[in-house]
Amino acid sequence: MYAKKTVIINKSGLHARPGSAFVREAKKFVSKITVSKLDGQDNPVQSGDAKSLVKVMSMLLSKDTHIEISAKGEDEHTAVDTLIDLVDSGLNDL
Amino acid sequence: MIFHGLPVSKGIAIGRAFVYEPFKPNVTERIIDAAEAAEHTKRLDEVLAAAGKELELLQQKMAGEDPDKVGIFEAHQDILTDTAVIEEILELINKELYAGEYAIETIYENYFRLFSEMDDALMRERCADFRDVKNRMLRLWMQQDTPAALQTAQVGLDAPSIIFAKDLLPSDTAALDRKTIQAFVTETGGYTSHSAIIARSYEIPAILGVEGFMDKVKNGDTVIVDAVEGILILEPSAAEIAQYTVKYQNYKQEREEIKKYRAIEPLTADGERISVCLNIGSASEEELAAAAFTDGSGLFRSEFLFMSGRELPGENEQFQIYKKAAETFGKKQVILRTLDIGGDKSLECMELPKEENPFLGCRALRLCFERPDIFKTQLRAALRAGVYGNLALMFPMVGSLEDLRRAKEFLAASRRELESEKIPCNKNMAIGIMIEIPAIALIADRVAKEVDFASIGTNDLCQYLTATDRMNPGLAPYYQSYHPSMFGLINQVSQAFIKAGKTLSICGEMGGDPAAVPAFIGMGIKKFSMSASGVPVIKRMLTRLTMEGAKKTAAAILNMDTAGEIETYLKQQLSQRMEGEYVRKENGDH
Repeated sequence: MYAKKTVIINKSGLHARPGSAFVREAKKFVSKITVSKLDGQDNPVQSGDAKSLVKVMSMLLSKDTHIEISAKGEDEHTAVDTLIDLVDSGLNDL
Repeated sequence: MIFHGLPVSKGIAIGRAFVYEPFKPNVTERIIDAAEAAEHTKRLDEVLAAAGKELELLQQKMAGEDPDKVGIFEAHQDILTDTAVIEEILELINKELYAGEYAIETIYENYFRLFSEMDDALMRERCADFRDVKNRMLRLWMQQDTPAALQTAQVGLDAPSIIFAKDLLPSDTAALDRKTIQAFVTETGGYTSHSAIIARSYEIPAILGVEGFMDKVKNGDTVIVDAVEGILILEPSAAEIAQYTVKYQNYKQEREEIKKYRAIEPLTADGERISVCLNIGSASEEELAAAAFTDGSGLFRSEFLFMSGRELPGENEQFQIYKKAAETFGKKQVILRTLDIGGDKSLECMELPKEENPFLGCRALRLCFERPDIFKTQLRAALRAGVYGNLALMFPMVGSLEDLRRAKEFLAASRRELESEKIPCNKNMAIGIMIEIPAIALIADRVAKEVDFASIGTNDLCQYLTATDRMNPGLAPYYQSYHPSMFGLINQVSQAFIKAGKTLSICGEMGGDPAAVPAFIGMGIKKFSMSASGVPVIKRMLTRLTMEGAKKTAAAILNMDTAGEIETYLKQQLSQRMEGEYVRKENGDH
């Protein structure tokens, strides 16, 4: 199990197109990957399968939301690092 | 038979009706035997695969015809292949022993509801996708193999047709072959609904929200759609067909002609720069597409945000939309008018008290004073969005200086709140008012000292000045927007604002009226805000207008006695100026 936190910086958050790009990337890994929405104290308030666009969109991950990405499986390190980098890159939506 | 509706995409069409009835799944709750579960699981796999194939074909079809719309089917594909959702369906089949079709219905409808109730407008709009995917799967589950939407579209639309439907889902509109569609008419939907956006982006004439026509129209009937006025005519007479054929040709010819003027700099023939701005409502992509051709938005009607949803829009949702508008216009000013509800505009998301005289009642700013929660939410969203562009605020229905000062106090309080919460906000936002109540117009000199700008809303000013309910068609002869008092009063306001050195603009219907604008320019008003379709019309007229000519026009009408006299004169002047250019016949008719 490996996890990292970040803040969403792109303007429409993980909705619509940026959300699809995120999920598409997540699907490239074999590990089970979870996205959690964090409150002000970094406590998770909601979690969902990072490979499910519907779940990701249901969590309303908008700009400035704090999130944690965690993974469990053989490629857990690369999975989390790649997805965190992707979110931090702004998903072509800055 | 004449029906009225909301014209959401302008144009005129005369043609054959095609009544579009999409697949309607009929699913009831059904429990299966444990032994059947495996079979239903297998069937689900087959249906998923078949639906995936259909969507792939649709994507290919769209990639060739209309690459922008490929995204709709990609989104459906994403939902269809979502493993978490499929797992939920499988769980209902295998653990609860629900029949496959009922499991599909239940899970997708759950998501439809979840998304339809979200605060964020963009997310709310996605809810239809779930229903679309569900319908596709259920149709395949029930073994109707040909894509219904495609089939009806191809079979029914071998010739140009006018589409009639209760409502159109995104996949319906995308699958319909738009080259054969002359117009849309639907029973549901508003200005910002999906069908409306599609219609505008394809420039297909559309009237939405027409009630009660579905059982009166049959396939193949000849019908007339006037999506300029919002009129649908079923079983038209020969005379009506002849009349609309002329109207259609004129409309088409004029649109082509004036399109050339859209992007030019708005200068009069003698080089005076006039501001030509855009009226916006929803700040959708389509609406904002015209931003590049204009000098800003002179009227951002914020109530459209409140009219489209079932719930009041929250601060963040409003902030995002105001910010988007401000960013799109960049340095150009965007004037956001605070909520103007009541009168003719009601809300689905909020019950308004019934009044004897709603236009004289608790509307707009008065309503905001009654509901500080709603008012403050909007002011906070606007102040926050003001950081991202040149956003200004305008209060509607101001009747006295007390009204104005009270509204300003609300604004100051909202700003203090944001500052204490350390949320970035605009500290010097320009403040203005709508001039639509005669009582405030008559003290324009004093108003000008307390505002940064004002804008004349000619529709309401005319209604209040002539004491004529503008919604009552029977009173149309009394609703005289060319009444001498209108021009006299507007001139008085203009002189007061010129003296105070403050900007005055016109944003009502008359602001986009090429006959009236020269008179206003002659009175010293140099800023006009109008719908996107009015922009090229006004810019073209300006190329034929001199400042001297405008002053003469203004001086002449300010000495006239009746609305009829003024109207005849203004329209004559317009025809003279536009001589040699194509001008719609009714402009010179009266």
